[in-house]
Amino acid sequence: MKVTTPEEEVIATMKAAVGDYILESKIPRPRRVYIRIKSNANKRAVSALLKAFPHAIISTITGVDIGEDIEINYHFWCGKAEVTIRTEVPKSNPEIETITDILPGAALYEREVHDLLGVKFTNHPNLTRLILPESWPKESYPLRKDWNPKHVGDLNGSLEETLIVGGIETERNGGPLVNVVVGPQHPALHEPERFLFKLDGEIVVDVEPRLGYAHRGIEKAAEQLMFFQDVHLVERVCGICNVAHTTCFCQAAEALGHIEVPPRALYLRTIVHELNRIHSHLLLLGIAGLEIGFESLFQYIWRDREIVLDLTEKLTGNRVMAEYSTIGGVRKDLTPALGNEIKRGLLKVKDRLNFYREVFQSDPTIELRTKDVGILSKEKALKLCVVGPVARGSGVKSDVRKHDPYAAYEDAPFQEILYKDGDSWARLMVRLDEVNESIDIILWAIDNIPGGPYRTRVPRRMPEGEALSRVEAPRGELVHYVRGNGTAYPERVKIRSPTLANIISFREMIRGCYVADIPAVLVSLDPCFSCTDRMVFVDEKSGRRWVWSMKDLRDRRRIGK
Amino acid sequence: MLEVSPINLSRWARLKSPWILHFNSGACNACDIEVVSLLTPRYDVERFGVLLKGTPRHADVLVATGPVTRQAALRLKRIYELMPEPKFVIAVGTCASSGAPFKKCYNVLGGIDKVIPVDVYVPGCPPKPEAILYGFTKLLDKIKEETE
Repeated sequence: MKVTTPEEEVIATMKAAVGDYILESKIPRPRRVYIRIKSNANKRAVSALLKAFPHAIISTITGVDIGEDIEINYHFWCGKAEVTIRTEVPKSNPEIETITDILPGAALYEREVHDLLGVKFTNHPNLTRLILPESWPKESYPLRKDWNPKHVGDLNGSLEETLIVGGIETERNGGPLVNVVVGPQHPALHEPERFLFKLDGEIVVDVEPRLGYAHRGIEKAAEQLMFFQDVHLVERVCGICNVAHTTCFCQAAEALGHIEVPPRALYLRTIVHELNRIHSHLLLLGIAGLEIGFESLFQYIWRDREIVLDLTEKLTGNRVMAEYSTIGGVRKDLTPALGNEIKRGLLKVKDRLNFYREVFQSDPTIELRTKDVGILSKEKALKLCVVGPVARGSGVKSDVRKHDPYAAYEDAPFQEILYKDGDSWARLMVRLDEVNESIDIILWAIDNIPGGPYRTRVPRRMPEGEALSRVEAPRGELVHYVRGNGTAYPERVKIRSPTLANIISFREMIRGCYVADIPAVLVSLDPCFSCTDRMVFVDEKSGRRWVWSMKDLRDRRRIGK
Repeated sequence: MLEVSPINLSRWARLKSPWILHFNSGACNACDIEVVSLLTPRYDVERFGVLLKGTPRHADVLVATGPVTRQAALRLKRIYELMPEPKFVIAVGTCASSGAPFKKCYNVLGGIDKVIPVDVYVPGCPPKPEAILYGFTKLLDKIKEETE
C-alpha cells in the first residue's frame, strides 16, 4: 500500500476536483501546501477546497506586486495543512472574481488587498476603503513597488472624519432607533477605535466598528528594512503580544533561509512565549474586572501580573518588549539559578490562580455581568472563522500549538481548554485556565531544556523563496507570510493578527445586549487594535447608506433634533 | 507668598491633583499598559493626586502615546482643545516623542508635538512605570516653577 502524507492527500483531493486548472503544486515543508492555478479559476478552486474540507478557515489573502502582475495568495487552514492557492492578475487591469459569496469571512481581506494594491474584486458587495483615511488620494496604492510616498502629499488638514450610518431600519416598537458613537477616546476603550451603536432604548440593535486609528503602515516599512531589523519592527506591531509577533516572523525567516535553530533556543522561545501569554491573559482578566465594575479584582490581578513581568525582565532584559527571539535563536541564555527563580515565581502565581478561579466561578457580580451575555454559538463561531480563546470559548478546537506545533510544543504536555457555553464568562474562563496550562508548560520546559548553544550565526542575505508561519498568540492564530528576493531585504511581509479574525464576531455577540454590557462583551474578545489596524473593518451592510460629517452632527445637536 | 491671580491659583491647585486623561494616537499598546500599570498597587500614582479620568473636560494633563497616525491626528487636536486651561501634555514613549521607529511610515506624522504642544517627554520603548512617574514629578516641578 502506498503511504501518503496529509499534504499529498490535500493535493490529490484538489487535483481530482479542479485538476484542469492547476498549473503547479508543491510541498516545501511539512503542513505547508502551495497550489498555483489559472487566474479565472480562483473561485472554482476555493469552492472545491471548502467542499473537501468543510471546516477550513481562511487565514488571510496576501497580494504581492511581482512586476507586470499582481499575485494573489489565498491562505487556508484546512485542519491538516495550510493551503495557499495562488493566481496572478495583470497590473494594468487588476480584476478578479470575489470569493465573498462562498466564504463571507474573506470580505475584509479582499477589501484590504483592494485598498493597498488596487485589485478589483468583481461582484464584491461593498468594495470601499477599508484601511486608509477617507481622504487618501485615489489610484495611490502604498504596497505597490512603484508607489512613491510623495504622491500622498499633506493629508493632515484635509482629513474629514465621517460617520457611516447604515441599515434601513430607523424605527422599532413605535420608537426611533438611536445612534450612539463610542470612541475613539472613551473611558471604556483603552485604544483609539470608534463604534457606532444603533440602540432601541437600552438594547443594542446593531453595531458598526470603524477601525484604522492605529494604522501605521508596518508592512511597507518592513520591506524597506533588512530582515534582522524587521525583527525589531514586527515586535512593535503590538506591545502586548510582541513575543508572538517576533517568534512568528523569525520562524518564517528561518524557514525561508533554511536555518536550523538549536533545540535549546526552541525551548527558550517556548518559555518566553508562555510568560507573554500569562501576562497578556492576566492583563485581560484584570481589565475585565475593571469593565464590569469590580475594581479590586483588577488591582489584585495586576499586582500578581507584576511577578510575571519581573521574571520576563530578568530573562529578557525588558518588562514588556521582550526583544528575545532573533533569526537563528534567542538573544540571551537561561541560567539554572534564574530557572529556579522563574519556577518559584510561577508557583506563586499558580497559587493565586486558585483564588481567582473561585472568584470567577462564585462571585455574583461576575456571574450577573458575564453569564449568558454576548453569546456566540459554535456554528456561528465556525462560520465566522474566529480564532483563539474566542473560538475555544464556543467549543471550537483552534489551538495552533496543538494542531500545527512549533518551537517545543510538539513535546510539551498541555490541554487545549474548551468551554461550550460561548458567553463572555466562558471566554474569560478559557484564559484563566490557559494561564494554568502555560505555567505547567514553562515548568516542564525549564526541567527538560536541552543543553547546547542558544543561537546560530545567520547570513543577512536570505535566498529567494517564501514562507508562511503560524503561532498561537494570546489572542489566537497569528499568521506571518514572508517572501525573500535573494537580498537582505524582504520582498513582502504580510501580517494577519488574530483580532481581525475575531472582531467580526462582536456584531454577533452584542446584538440584543444592554448598553451597559458593551464594555464587558468587547473586553471578553480581548481586542487588540494596534495589531488589527494595519487594516480597518467596516461591517457589511445591506440597504441604504448615508454619511454624516462631524459638522453635520454638531449642527444637528445644536438644533436639538 | 503666592501672587494670587486666577491662573496661578488654578496652577497651584493642579500641584496636588493633576487629573489625567489617556489618549492612544496609534501606539502599539506597550506604553498604554505601562500607563495603566501606574494605577496598580506597586506604582500607585494616586499618591501624587493623579486620577485617571474618562473625559477631557475633567482632565488637567493629557498623557498621550503613539506616533500620531493621520486618522488620529485630528481627534488628538480636538481632545486637547476640549481640555480646560491650564492644561499640560506628557508624551509617553519614544514614538510619542519623535515617531521612531515609525517615523518614515506613510500613515504616521511622527510625534505628539507635531499636533499639540508637549510639556514633558518620557522616552523609552516602552518607558518603565518608574520613568513615567519621574515624568510626572518633572511636570509637577514645572508647574511649581511657573506658579512661583
